[in-house]
Amino acid sequence: MLQHIIPATGLLFTLENILWINVGVFIGSVFAAIPGLSVILCVILFLPVTYSMTAIPGMMFLLGIYCAGGYGGSVSAILINTPGTPHAAATMLDGHPLSEQGRTKAALKIALYASTFGGVFSALMLLFLGPQVARIAAQLGTAEYFMVCVFGLTIIAGVSGKSMIKGLISACLGLLISCVGSDPMTSYDRFTFGIPRLYLGLDLAICLIGLFALVEIMAKAEKRLDRLDLDTTQIKDDGVITKAEYRRMARPVLVSSIIGVLVGIIPGTGASEASWFSYNTAKNMSKHPEEFGRGSVEGIAAAESANNAVTGATLIPLLTLGIPGDGTVAIMLSALMINGLNPGLSLFTTQGDIMYAIMLGLILVNIFMCLQGKFLTTLFAKVVSIPQEILTPIIVIFCFAGAYSVNGNYFDVGVALIFGILAWILRKLDLPPVPILLGLVLGSMTETNFRRALLISNGSPKIFFSSIYCIIFLVLIVAAVGTIVRGKMKERRASGQKED
Amino acid sequence: MKKRILSLALVGAMCVALLASCGGKKKAAWKVTCPWAPSGVAAMVNQQAATKSADYSDTITLVPEAIKGDAATVNTWVANTKANATELVFVGEGLLSITSILDPDKMQFGYEDFIFVENLYSSIFVLSADAKLGIGSIADLEAYVQQGNEISVAVNGATSSEAFLAAALFGSMGAGDKLKLTPYQSAAEAAQAVARGETQFAVSHQSQILETYQQKGVTVVCAFDENDITNGDFAGVEGVGQHGYPYFRNRCFIMARAGTDEKKVEELKELYGKILADQEVADWLHDTMLLEVDTMSVEDVEAHVENVKSIVNEYKDIVAG
Amino acid sequence: MSRWVEQFNGRMDAWGRKLHEKEIRIPIDLVTGVVFFLVALVILLVMPDQVAVSEKDVVNGRAFPTMLMAVMMLCCAMLVAKELYKLATRQPLNWKVINVQVEMKALVILGILIGTWALSKITGLFVVGAVFCCLGFLLYFRCRKKSYYAITLVLAVAIWAAFRFVLGVDF
Repeated sequence: MLQHIIPATGLLFTLENILWINVGVFIGSVFAAIPGLSVILCVILFLPVTYSMTAIPGMMFLLGIYCAGGYGGSVSAILINTPGTPHAAATMLDGHPLSEQGRTKAALKIALYASTFGGVFSALMLLFLGPQVARIAAQLGTAEYFMVCVFGLTIIAGVSGKSMIKGLISACLGLLISCVGSDPMTSYDRFTFGIPRLYLGLDLAICLIGLFALVEIMAKAEKRLDRLDLDTTQIKDDGVITKAEYRRMARPVLVSSIIGVLVGIIPGTGASEASWFSYNTAKNMSKHPEEFGRGSVEGIAAAESANNAVTGATLIPLLTLGIPGDGTVAIMLSALMINGLNPGLSLFTTQGDIMYAIMLGLILVNIFMCLQGKFLTTLFAKVVSIPQEILTPIIVIFCFAGAYSVNGNYFDVGVALIFGILAWILRKLDLPPVPILLGLVLGSMTETNFRRALLISNGSPKIFFSSIYCIIFLVLIVAAVGTIVRGKMKERRASGQKED
Repeated sequence: MKKRILSLALVGAMCVALLASCGGKKKAAWKVTCPWAPSGVAAMVNQQAATKSADYSDTITLVPEAIKGDAATVNTWVANTKANATELVFVGEGLLSITSILDPDKMQFGYEDFIFVENLYSSIFVLSADAKLGIGSIADLEAYVQQGNEISVAVNGATSSEAFLAAALFGSMGAGDKLKLTPYQSAAEAAQAVARGETQFAVSHQSQILETYQQKGVTVVCAFDENDITNGDFAGVEGVGQHGYPYFRNRCFIMARAGTDEKKVEELKELYGKILADQEVADWLHDTMLLEVDTMSVEDVEAHVENVKSIVNEYKDIVAG
Repeated sequence: MSRWVEQFNGRMDAWGRKLHEKEIRIPIDLVTGVVFFLVALVILLVMPDQVAVSEKDVVNGRAFPTMLMAVMMLCCAMLVAKELYKLATRQPLNWKVINVQVEMKALVILGILIGTWALSKITGLFVVGAVFCCLGFLLYFRCRKKSYYAITLVLAVAIWAAFRFVLGVDF
């Protein structure tokens, strides 16, 4: 590890990287602070920008957005009682009441420091655990990789929303779309309908611009044009956090960071689950559970440290196995692969310097997030009230410019538009879009390994049960699906009882 | 006042944009598109050549770009590039000799759409075997084939140069019907597959099997060339040509769009010639990438394309079924 | 001009109020099940034309998409069966209300998006499409603040310039 860290430090500490980290952190904070704009949307919009960059600045930029998004969501949650991102909902429970007590700045500071601690803790975990997991990954063959892909697809169960059947339909659609283009095993064309540009398949960034960004623009039709007239003078309090408060926060921050890391490693679970789980744990552990929901510093700290502790942890399965921990990092996979960085042990050996630079960079990202949060919070707060009239066309221009820049043609912009229309129809049919994203990301890998494994075994499915790793992943798949299904059934029963 | 400032800002932004687009440049930037993986051999050589271009020309800067997509990328390039555009593209025998026969519909271009500038390198592919098989020479391989064993070979892509070399070798040994080609997504993956025992053999660039070979996971059986390899870690590995088996080297032609001014093409050829003659570049190609500097004429290129075409025509049934 | 705009807006408002009252109720799960069952069926039907296979393949290029379509059809069948069971047992179906006004507004937005794309493509100048997009959305939102027009247009040109000159995207 040490032989990579020194050259990695040299690669990381360049003016270009520092600049992109800060740009990413700034954009991520701004996007996440605006209710309705998500981190995933931000990463999708800016992914094409990274195509013209090399691996380190590209990843630093995206990681900046990703990590700052974790914190940015808390700004609007605290200020206007509306979470900027879904995972900031737990922060809102105590953040806004504390703000109403005249301690807005203190609430924002607690959220920032807890986020930074969670982020740095998670980055360190990635630094130490990543290479170990990669070493195991190197021993995996084609059949084992297929099982890993199936395990990755269990995320679908977690991101399907109300109906798992509809989640599966979406996932099938995503997997089918990933089949468009040259067959990876034979080079024959599939589903190209005589359109030459489709030989190459559909670019992930272009599909996502349509599926997640353009559909949000069309969804403006559903909303009224509300203006959030935020009074930024309310964050002019002294923001003092007492020593006693710091002491009270220490334990929930540490425990929540550990929870965030554990939740982040498991594909299919994300920052929202981590923040709620941590919030509950902190409440159960607290000497003052009665303060929760009324402006508890422990509540804010627990929720925020957990949702940022997920960031580094989700990168562990991504960098070692190519399995994204959540939807946002799934998009980052294409930023890595466009630079020829394929997940696995070789990433930590032959391209170890770059990989360690990225992992160390994650620590740096969190430090810059803390600095920007400290000095620019008032600005982020003002951003919350940017008028939709200005924001909407700007997002569209970003979408189109991004889609065009992937391959330099308007055909791709047209494809993005078609995906936007498809996403609108899916929205009307209550079909979740995230399983489509997972299908698109994991489709080719799943199919290739499935077919290649059967080719190696001359068509015998026994190959999928032939090694200890296959069995381990099989058990994990069953356990993951079982846990999620049980959770969903409990949820349904609980909501049924409520209705009764 | 506010409105005036805003209007001025708008006009300013537009003027800056217009001025920037009209600005003259003394140095012409030639974008060199590599239609293969950014981590692949060709993209890395492209990057290296571009870095060196600044040292050898005051008028041309080479700008490397890697857009994975093979025929699709070149289709786009041909469609969007006019004669005399400052654009270059890589084309290899994979497109000109393999895709043109197996899947001509995929190509919306032909050799006539380009003007040859230079060949950047030539690479000798090697056949490696699972170390457990104990196959270290062509004689061992022939004996193994004669036993009637099934032969599985890991290759980078189902209809790649590597696949055709494997088909040509085992096909000419009379074992075409026993051959099972297992395609992988990259050459590095194919090389690892043989070390893991998923396949018995792999065809790859020398640099891509070197690490596994040094770890004793594989033996290197033969080289797809006329003569034995003379230096480096694989010195002494037999060339299949000596045993009468077909072979070809992997080459990477830099092409300009047809109709481009001959003087410009000459200038570019001269620049590439200087870059390739640079000792540092030659050493890097030779020692790190295990490639050879191989400048070529148009006649050499046409002969190479035809040689590969004849191999493809003979063995396409084994590869494509 | 402003009178004309107000007249136009007034007409649109009247039309919008009429449309707002029109709602379509659809049994969402039933429709989803049937639509995607048909989609899967169509994909299976076009598969032989769209996916060439070789006799040598152990698992050919049709296997995976066929498997996916089978899963999709199974899921659709389950959705439909669930709804039919509800119908038979007189339980309420899963309904969704589609408001015609919302859909018309979405169509207008889609029109702006298509216009932006078409203008950029036809003129070959992305910035022309970008300016159209800004004006289109500002008019859609009935924005009357001139400063918003100026800010949005400056930002649109700035984004184009950033992609064109900083990132080297030629459009």
